[in-house]
Amino acid sequence: MKKQSENVKDRPRTSGRDFKQYKYFRPKSKEELIRIINDFQKDLTIIAGGTDLLVANYQKLYEIKNWLDLNLLNEFKNIKMFDDKVEIGSMVTHQRLSKLDQIKELFPVLHQAAADVGSPQIRSRGTIGGNIVTSSPAGDLLPPLLIYDAQLKIISGEGSRVVDANEFFTGPKKNILKEGEILEKIIIPLKEEVYRGAWIKVGKRKALIISSISLALNLSIDRSNLIKKARICIGSAAPVPLRIKTAEQAILKKELTEINIEEIAQIVSEEISPIDDIRGTAKYRRQVALNITRKALSEVTNQ
Amino acid sequence: MQKVKVSLTVNRKKYNLKVDPDERLLDTLRDRLHLFGVKEGCSIGECGACTVILDGKAVNSCMVYTFQIDGSQVLTVEGLEIDGRLDPLQLSFIEHQAVQCGFCTPGMLMSAKALLNKNPNPDKEAIKTAIEGNLCRCTGYQQIIEAIEASTKKDGSE
Repeated sequence: MKKQSENVKDRPRTSGRDFKQYKYFRPKSKEELIRIINDFQKDLTIIAGGTDLLVANYQKLYEIKNWLDLNLLNEFKNIKMFDDKVEIGSMVTHQRLSKLDQIKELFPVLHQAAADVGSPQIRSRGTIGGNIVTSSPAGDLLPPLLIYDAQLKIISGEGSRVVDANEFFTGPKKNILKEGEILEKIIIPLKEEVYRGAWIKVGKRKALIISSISLALNLSIDRSNLIKKARICIGSAAPVPLRIKTAEQAILKKELTEINIEEIAQIVSEEISPIDDIRGTAKYRRQVALNITRKALSEVTNQ
Repeated sequence: MQKVKVSLTVNRKKYNLKVDPDERLLDTLRDRLHLFGVKEGCSIGECGACTVILDGKAVNSCMVYTFQIDGSQVLTVEGLEIDGRLDPLQLSFIEHQAVQCGFCTPGMLMSAKALLNKNPNPDKEAIKTAIEGNLCRCTGYQQIIEAIEASTKKDGSE
């Protein structure tokens, strides 16, 4: 029998895993960041909040090469208000999004979704940029970003580009980012319209749950009380967060009270392409999609 | 292997450490500083047993690499006690029998403390939200919520 060591220093370390030759980088400015990307682009593991990455690394899901930690990039933590847009840095945490009054006022659906992410511990580390780049179909902030027509500014050693959030996601945990590209900020246009929005997240419990299905809805109402723009986006029910464009079209140019809720709910339920997994069956998700669309539309139209 | 120099203030004491780039704050606190009040539960951010207060915010110490927090302030359950006196929150946990097996208790205390530091008089909903990331399989949470509620009344104007 092995004799248990009395001295705690002699006990095996819980962190004693096989370490490779890592380097780590913690750039403080965009210029420094770009230099590192240019030098090391293929061998970098980029870490923002770490709330997904550390799980993956703990379970040894992939090999770490060199760390690139974005946490010292203060310019990526800004939220800037303009007359016609709001810019949210990619390193803004869920906690800030869920506490800021300006976000609550301008983008209530995003605000509520951020408050529904994980737990306080996850929200104080996890970032909006990480949620986007991880590109899980169940990412809580993704449907809200799509309904607000968010744009993503991506930078790299070669310059920058701005893409529509709607075109960013290409599959489960897949997106259009190329190696050496970093999400700098999220740009959400501001329109002088009245918004009516709703957010519903369905999971097996309230906290710390990956959604079985989620819904984000936003309707813009013009001066004559007609719906000028409609956005319905469903999360966790297709390979990417999915806008239901047929349903959006069917709501346009109507008054709120004229919306045929049953028809729209039916369209949403048919257009998603859910799978069976541990969080629910495809059949369950279609039924719940119907129910939550009904609920969200009833809420915003007071029907 | 490249070690990383990190200076941390843990429980009001300053440490200059050399850590591995793959070392979690949880590992540093337990293995290097021997703060065994920080519990390792799930290691994937779901149970909250490893919760500490990092620069004023409750975080899972299994979700942070130590190299990321150079210059930061960390408070663990060991730091709640000052000069042999327990924090009012700890006394309230004892009084309300909010501890059974005790494994979740350090994390619960730190989540509650992070809330009380920001909001000395939270309502029941705020308390529930503050500990929503901490699992307890013994108490059913009722006594824990009562203990946190009672400690606010002791400190506050009520």
